[in-house]
Formats: sequence, C-alpha cells, structure tokens
Amino acid sequence: MKKLYSIFKQGIIFENPLLMLMIGLCSAIAVTSNVSNGIGMGLAMTFVLLFSEIIISLFRKLIPSMIRIPIFIIVIAAFTTIVDLVMKAYFPDLSKSMGVFIPLIVVNCIIMGRVEAFASKQNLPSVIADALGMGLGYTWVLIGLAAVRELLGNGTLAGIQIMPASYQPILFFILPPGGFFVFSLFISFNLWLKKRMEVSARNKELAAKKEAA
Amino acid sequence: MKKDMTKLGLTLMLYASLACASLAVVYAFTKESIDKQSELQLQASLKELFPEATVFDPIQDLSSPDPNIKFESAYEVKSDKAALGLAVKATGPSYGGNATLLVGIGLNRSVAGVRVMALNDTPGLGMNASNPTYYVDKTKKVTFLGQFAGKFLTDPFEVKKDVVAITAATISSRSLTNIIKAVGNAAVAYMDQKAVTAPTESGPSAEAGANTGAQPQAGGK
Amino acid sequence: MDLGKIFLLALLVNNIVVMRFIALCSYIGMTSDLGQSLGMGYAVTFVTVLATAATWPIYHYVLVPLNLTFLQILIFILVIASLVQLVEFYLKKNVPGLYTAMGIYLPLITTNCAILAVTFENISFKYNFIQSIAYSVGVSLGYLLAMVLLAGIRERIKTSPVPKFLQGTPILFMATALIGVAFMGFAGLVK
Repeated sequence: MKKLYSIFKQGIIFENPLLMLMIGLCSAIAVTSNVSNGIGMGLAMTFVLLFSEIIISLFRKLIPSMIRIPIFIIVIAAFTTIVDLVMKAYFPDLSKSMGVFIPLIVVNCIIMGRVEAFASKQNLPSVIADALGMGLGYTWVLIGLAAVRELLGNGTLAGIQIMPASYQPILFFILPPGGFFVFSLFISFNLWLKKRMEVSARNKELAAKKEAA
Repeated sequence: MKKDMTKLGLTLMLYASLACASLAVVYAFTKESIDKQSELQLQASLKELFPEATVFDPIQDLSSPDPNIKFESAYEVKSDKAALGLAVKATGPSYGGNATLLVGIGLNRSVAGVRVMALNDTPGLGMNASNPTYYVDKTKKVTFLGQFAGKFLTDPFEVKKDVVAITAATISSRSLTNIIKAVGNAAVAYMDQKAVTAPTESGPSAEAGANTGAQPQAGGK
Repeated sequence: MDLGKIFLLALLVNNIVVMRFIALCSYIGMTSDLGQSLGMGYAVTFVTVLATAATWPIYHYVLVPLNLTFLQILIFILVIASLVQLVEFYLKKNVPGLYTAMGIYLPLITTNCAILAVTFENISFKYNFIQSIAYSVGVSLGYLLAMVLLAGIRERIKTSPVPKFLQGTPILFMATALIGVAFMGFAGLVK
C-alpha cells in the first residue's frame, strides 16, 4: 500500500508530467483560457491514460516487443476516440470549445511515455496508482493555470463573475502569450516547491541520524 | 524470420480489429446522441430567434449572393396564424477557419437575431462573439451579435461605422457581419420575390423588440 | 478562401507554436542548438505535407463513403506512423544526403502533435485538397520558424544573466511569451 501511495505521489509534484518532465504541453496551455475547459481536458486525459495503462498492463505478456509501439498507438487511439465520441454526444459545448485538442490526446507524450516506461512492465495496482497520480498531476496544473488566466484575464471562474464589475480584465492573460507567461511562473514555483521538499526531507534524515547516533 | 513477420502482422491485425470493433460499438451507442445534438441545438436556437414560431419549413431555393458564404439550410418560419420570417444557417470564412451562424430575418426586413452554431477563433478576442457576457455596449448589455437584433437591412452593415467591432478582433467582426449581411440580402430578395409580407399591424418579433432600442454607437471603446 | 491567405494565416497569424501551443514538446526539447532545430523543422515540414497528401484522400474517398469517420483518429495516426517509417527507409536507401540531415529526427515525429493537428484541421475546416496542402505548408513552415527563433534566443540566453527564479525552463517559456506578443502584431496582416 505504501508503495502504491509513493507511486501515486510521484506524478503530482516530483515527476509532474507538465512541470517537471515537460511533456504533454500542447493541450495544457491551449485549453486553459477558462476553468471548465481545464477540468474537461484534465478528466479526458486521465481517462485515456488510466484505461490505456490498464489494458496494456493486462495484455503485457501478449504483446510482442517488436510491434509494441504500433499496438500502444492503437490502444491509445481507441480510447481517445471513445472520449471524443462521448464528449460530442453528451458535452457538445465542451467538445466544441476544445476542438482539435481532444484528438491530439493520441499524440500526448504523457500517455505514450507512461505506457512504454511503466504500464508495459508493471502489474495492475501499481499501474492504476501511476495513471491516477499522473492524471491528477496533469489536471491540477491545468486547473491552476486556467484559474489564474481566467480570473485575471476575464474576471470570472468557470464562467461565474468573481471580480467586482469595476475590474478591467487584463486581456493579456487570456491571450496566447499570457499562457506562456503564467506557465513559466508555474514551473518556477514547482521547482522551488520540489527543492524545499527535498531540503526538508534531507533535514529530517539528518535529524533522524543524529538521534540514532 | 518470415514466419515471425507473418505472426507479428497477424497479431497487429488482431489488435487493430479488436480496437475497431470496440469503437464501432461505442459509435453505435453515441451516434444517435451526436446527431441529435446538432439538431437540438439548431431547433433551440430557431426557437430563441422566433419564440412565437411553431413551424419551420425547410426551403431549398435560397442561394447565397457571396461565393465564399454557403447556406447550409434555410427555413421559412411560421406561427399558427402567419408567416414570421426566414432563418438561415450559413457558414463563411472567418479569422480562425469557418464560422457558422444562424441568422433570423423578420418580415419587416430587419434582423430578428443571430446565434453562433460553430466558431473557431482566438479565445479572449474573436471568440467573444459567442461569449454571452462580452458586451459591446456595457451600459445596455448588448453583445456583439445582439447589436444586430432589430437592425434593418437597408443599413450599411459596416464594421466600425454602424456595427461595433469586438475589441482587437476587427477581422472576425467583419467576417461575421458579412455572413449576416449576405443572409439578409438573400432573404429580402426571397421575400420580395415570393411576396411574403407582414400582416399590417405586426412589428418586429418579440425577441427583436427587446433589443431594438440598442442602436450601437460607432467606434466602440 | 484564397491560398495565399490560408498560408499566411497558418504561418504567422495563427502560428502553430507560439499562438496555438501545438508541438510544444519538441519546441522545448529540440531547440538547444540551431542545427538540431533546423533538422527537426525540415523533417516536420516534409512529413506534414506528405501526411496531408495521404490523409485527405483517405478521409474523403475511403472513410466518408464507407461511413467510418469515427475511425478517423485511429487511421490517421497509423497512416502517419507508417508514413514516417516508409520515408525513413526510402531516404536511407536512396537519398543518403537528406537522411543524414533529418533522418535521426524522423522516429521522433510520429508523436509530433503538429502533424496530426494539421491533418485533422484540414478536415474540420472543410478545406479542399489544394487548400489543405497550402495550409500544411504554412503550418509546418511556421513551426520551423518558431523552432529557429527559439534556438537563436537560447544561444543568447546561455550567456545572459537570467534571474534565479527563471533559470532553466521557465526562462524559455518567458521568452516564448515575448515572441508571442510580437506575433500578435501580425494579426492585422490578413484582411
């Protein structure tokens, strides 16, 4: 259980796919001009990641290693299509506002990377923990980015007016350059957080050693 | 070696066909809903433009005056008693690809209203055309498309003159205005030709009435 | 829409990297030197145009008549992946000069978002074949342009005093934000 938790935890900060590994970036900045898109994209992505990892982990002994990449692509493409169809059917507005970024989940390096490096080698429980951790790591960054951009750039959160009416929105944050700007600060913040956590972990270790001595 | 290749090929085929089969199942389940969505959206928007309408008769012989703008479908709108106007779903080029609008034209040769069916544009700029809280006239709470409601087709329809542009999205504003104008011109020609006229006492439709007072000021902010 | 307009919109106004955020992975990962970014740019341009030429007919002459449009994602990505393989074989055997220039980048671009995005948008924007080709050339040259711009800026960043909290990747995104502001100036280019 403890092992599963530590796998789960990895994706959220230390190996955050967006902020640390720098993969799967396309959709992250593009859809975050408002919070509802951010949530939608995060969930869509987590769904595809989770089910692709599960299927591949279950079938890992039946996948010849020479043709594993095409098979991974097929599995991922299938789940992406499912998400695409379901969103078109039940959340047409969300699907429309995300446009080409739903099909682009297929080539999202996070999924390919996790499937190749993790799911094809591990058993089911660790795979689920990994997919959820990575998915959550992805989703929180998306929601965070979207919240900052929407609040400053439009004065709203998920479409609800938050800022007082006299607030003049800073259009910059909703525009593409603003996305890069906020994202840059997010990486910076995550680096700082990681460093701090590492330092405190080391201090704890040292303290423990001292006590033992 | 050759045997290996065949085996690998077959395995790959197997996975691919499994994937296709499962997708076919999901597709069959969602298809109805997806088809219905666009139909539902169209019906709901038609209803919004002409709240009193009960019948939307599809018409075929309405053609676009502009080769770049395509009319996807057109309807003659009627209530129980009389004709109300025309509604046209039109697609034309805009800033980020094609934009699809539903434009209603009242019998008095004015725009009854405009709804966005599909739009690709820059968030925060051109996308504001479909943003219900983006106002070109903040005091009167008139949206970009809202300003067209009640506008007569004898007006010039020129952005930055009688049409207020979306801030920093003049090109999008112009493209959308062109689509509305094209529909308007075609509809007026159609109505003149078929002699569809208003019963004497009826004014603009209820929806248009709500916004008629909001004549946009040129230039915007 | 005429071809020149489609091309310019795709190249500058809606630049795929700095305005639309697509293909950011390789934009950050492959621009640490200029030669590398050029090689990647050429490879993407080459494959994007080929992929457009392959996927557009497949969609309109195979998937639509057979009513299989729901397989679009699956088919397109497989077509692109096999195309990349074929191009690699072909270049290695017949055009070794070109292969040394961009061969090593080919395996990397199967999962390049730009290519898949272009093939999808050709369909969803309802472009005809010629327009699709113009769009794909515009988008991929826009990608090349962005890659070269960032590679150039990174040369300067190496020798510049970067504020401590921006060191590493944050400064790259900050620079991209500034490039983006500059690109917004192209908005009025196409009437």
